[in-house]
Amino acid sequence: MAVIEIEGLRKQYRQLRGERTVALDGLDLFVPEGGVFGFLGPNGAGKTTTIRCLLGLVRPTRGACRLLGVDTGSDLSRVIRRVGTIVETPALYPRFSGRRNLELLGRLHGIGPKAVGDVLERVGLAERADHLVRTYSSGMRQRLGIGAALLKDPEVLILDEPANGLDPAGIKEVRDLLRRLGDEGRTVFVSSHILTEIQHTADRVAILSRGRSVAAGSVAQVLSAGRAQGVIVRLADLTDGVTALRSAGFEAVISNHDDIRVTMPPADAARVTRALADQGLYLTELRPDEADLETVFLELTNEAGRGGAQ
Amino acid sequence: MTALLAAEIRRMTSRRLFRVVAALAVLAIVIASLIVALRSRSTSGIAGDRRFHLTALAVALEGTSPVLIIAAWLLGASFIGADWHAGTVTTLLTWEPRRLRVMMAKLAGCLTVVFLLVIAVQILLAGGLALAAAVRGTTEGVDVAWMRHTAGIALRVAVLSGVGSAIGFAIASVARNTAAALGVGFGYTVIVENLVRGLRPQWVPWLVGDNAVMFISGQSAGPSFHRTILQAGLLLVAYAVALLIVTAAVFRARDVT
Repeated sequence: MAVIEIEGLRKQYRQLRGERTVALDGLDLFVPEGGVFGFLGPNGAGKTTTIRCLLGLVRPTRGACRLLGVDTGSDLSRVIRRVGTIVETPALYPRFSGRRNLELLGRLHGIGPKAVGDVLERVGLAERADHLVRTYSSGMRQRLGIGAALLKDPEVLILDEPANGLDPAGIKEVRDLLRRLGDEGRTVFVSSHILTEIQHTADRVAILSRGRSVAAGSVAQVLSAGRAQGVIVRLADLTDGVTALRSAGFEAVISNHDDIRVTMPPADAARVTRALADQGLYLTELRPDEADLETVFLELTNEAGRGGAQ
Repeated sequence: MTALLAAEIRRMTSRRLFRVVAALAVLAIVIASLIVALRSRSTSGIAGDRRFHLTALAVALEGTSPVLIIAAWLLGASFIGADWHAGTVTTLLTWEPRRLRVMMAKLAGCLTVVFLLVIAVQILLAGGLALAAAVRGTTEGVDVAWMRHTAGIALRVAVLSGVGSAIGFAIASVARNTAAALGVGFGYTVIVENLVRGLRPQWVPWLVGDNAVMFISGQSAGPSFHRTILQAGLLLVAYAVALLIVTAAVFRARDVT
C-alpha cells in the first residue's frame, strides 16, 4: 500500500514581474508503507515545495497528491491526526514554554499533558520543558519541532531537514530515532541534504532535481543506478597495468590518476589478479568500486542539470 | 473547534502587547481616578463637590473610546501579523488543515478577548470615577435611564473596538504583516477621509470615522449625515464583514510559504 502517492505534480510560482518559476515539473513519487524514505535533492530542487503540497499548504498548479489514500487538496483533515510533520525550521510560539506549545497543539486532537511530558522526555527536552522557547538554541527548537511531530504518535512522519541546527551528537540521535521509528513500522518520509546520514538510515530514497525525480528505489538500487559494476585496482605502474588488463580482454581505464577501474562484477575480481600476475605485475590494492550516495547524487543531479540546460 | 478557540484565546491573552495595553489602561484609570479625587479635595475639601458628577462618566467613556478602538485595531492586526511573522500559521495548519476553521478560531479568539478587555477597562473606569464621585463629588442624576444610556455607550464602544480589531486583523492577514495594517489604518484615517471631506462631501455618510462618531455618541457629524445609531453601527459591521470575507477567500486560496 502506498502511504504517499504523487502523480504529475507541477508547481509554478508567479513572480512580481509576471515571470514564472517552476518549482516542481511533473513529479511522480510513490512511498510504500513502513520504513524510512529519504527524499534528496540540491537546494531549490523542490523538496520543501513537495512537502508543502503534500500537507495542503501549497496548491499544486497541476497533478495530485495522496496521503494515506486521501487527496490532500480536499480531505487532508481526515488523516492529519495520523501524520506528524516538520516543515523547514519548526515555528512555535517563542513566548510560551516548550511544554505549553506542545500542550496547545495537543489539545487540538485531544492529546493530554502526559503524552506531552513523554514526548519532551523522548526528545531530550524534559529539563528545559518549562522554559520559554525564545531562550532555546536552534538545536533545541529543532528537537521541540520533532517532539511536536511525534506528539500525535503518528503512522506517518513527514520531516523536512529534521537534523538542521543539530550538533553531531544530536544528528546521530535523530538518525537513530528515525531508524527506530521506521523499524516500528511507521513510515518516515525525510528530506535531507546530509546524504551520508540518509544512506545509513533510509531503506528507500528518491533523488529530486529541478522538480523531477531522477532516481527512486531502494538505496542499493539507486547506488547502482546507471553505473556499471566494477573493481578498483592499484599497482605501481598504471600504464602497464591497463595494457595488461586490456590485452586480457577487460574494459579498464585509469581513473583519478592513481588507480585503474575495471568494469566487471566484483565477484570475478580473482580474474584480474591472475591477468596482472601473468604479466609480472602485482597489485597493491583491489576493491569493489562502490559508489556512495553523495557520488550518485552529484552524478544524477548534474546530469539532470545538463539535460535541463540543453 | 472549541480546543482551537481556547488555544487562540490563551495565546491572545499571553501576548506581551495585550498585557502592556491592559496594564497601561489600568494605570491610566488609576491615575485619572486619583486626579479626580485630589482635585475634588483641593477645591472643596468636603464630600459632595457638586462640580464632579458621576453623570459625566458617559462623556468620559466617549472621550476614551478612540484610544480603545485604536488599541483594539493594534491588537487585532498584531495578533495575526505576529503569527505570519513567526511562521506559526504553518505549524497550526499541519494540525488543523481546514483553513477557514483556523481563521475563524483566530478571529473569534481575538474578538472575544478584545471585547472583554474593553468592557473590563470601562467597568474599571466607571468604578474609579464612581468611587471618586461617591466620596468627593456627587452621584446626583444617576438613575435607571442614565445607567441604560451609559451602558449603551460602553457596549457600543466595545462593539466598535471589536469592529476595529476585526478590520485590523483582516488587513494584517491579507498583507501578512502588522505594520501594513497600521499603515493602511493611518493612511485611511489621515489622508483618505480628509480628502473625501474636502473633495467629495456627498460621500461623507459612508466614511468610517463619521459613522463611528455617530455610533458612539449619537451625534451627527454634519448636516448631510442622516443616519441613526443602529444604521451607523450596521454599516460599520458590514464594512468589517466584507473585509473579512475577502480575507477568508485570500487565506483559503493563497499558498502558505
